[in-house]
Amino acid sequence: MTASALIALAAALAVAISTIGPGIGQGIAASKAMEAMARQPEMAGTIRTSMILALALMEALTIYGLLIAFMLISKM
Amino acid sequence: MTFTTAFSISKPVITIWVITAVLTILSIFATRKLKDVPGPMQNVAEAAVEKLEDFFGGILGYKNMRRYFPLFGTLFIFIVMSNYSGLLPAAGEAFSVPTACLSVTAALAVISFFTTHTIGIQNRGAGGYAMSFLKPFALMLPLTLIDQVVRPFSLALRLYGNIYAEEMVTSQLRSMFPVLLPLVMQVLSLLFCLIQAMVFTMLTAVYVHEAIGDEE
Repeated sequence: MTASALIALAAALAVAISTIGPGIGQGIAASKAMEAMARQPEMAGTIRTSMILALALMEALTIYGLLIAFMLISKM
Repeated sequence: MTFTTAFSISKPVITIWVITAVLTILSIFATRKLKDVPGPMQNVAEAAVEKLEDFFGGILGYKNMRRYFPLFGTLFIFIVMSNYSGLLPAAGEAFSVPTACLSVTAALAVISFFTTHTIGIQNRGAGGYAMSFLKPFALMLPLTLIDQVVRPFSLALRLYGNIYAEEMVTSQLRSMFPVLLPLVMQVLSLLFCLIQAMVFTMLTAVYVHEAIGDEE
């Protein structure tokens, strides 16, 4: 394999693997938030706000993967 | 990068100009003749401002929200409009979505970064603000600094990544089957674009709240 092929593979893996963890985490967070909303519909607004905030912070991990992928591709 | 390419007028720049012009004209018309019984334009503007005030008031508290509302309101409305500009008929040819361009989101993140620290220094003084980095205990200082530096990167890349990916999926679907297939993604993008604008401004508000500190 040439060096650029290896870099392309590494960039793809950086995004693909870094999606797995946050995906599972966001699923758990969203399901718990929905449970809480169903149990206490009057708190739905507050719970939704903090859920979106938590999801955004978890997403940051995937974003770091994306950043690494961009850095790798610029080395190609 | 040569001088001409650095200062060339690209599609995102034109789109930003159009968005700015449209927003300015709409705001002038909505607030030109304010009445006790609002007309349709004033009604929409009032509803939007009230919603935004509630949203940011929940994070920052009423007093701070009133003080910094122009910044957050402008950021939110501008990001929402640029995200939705992908739904314009000429998107891709004459216009392109500004937030699907890393330079634009990086500029927005730089605004958010300097705003946060300026507000922190304004509220606590330079020394007090610097001491707040040692808050839980001094050993955490490297981690806190890394956190502060990484924030603008993650803000910029989150907005850029989401909007760019969504635009790419839409254009790929269009090249596969141009009639109804992109519609599915465009309907979903109505939701995603709003959420991404909300996330960006909400995180900025949370950072500002953190910089202001607890004392009222």
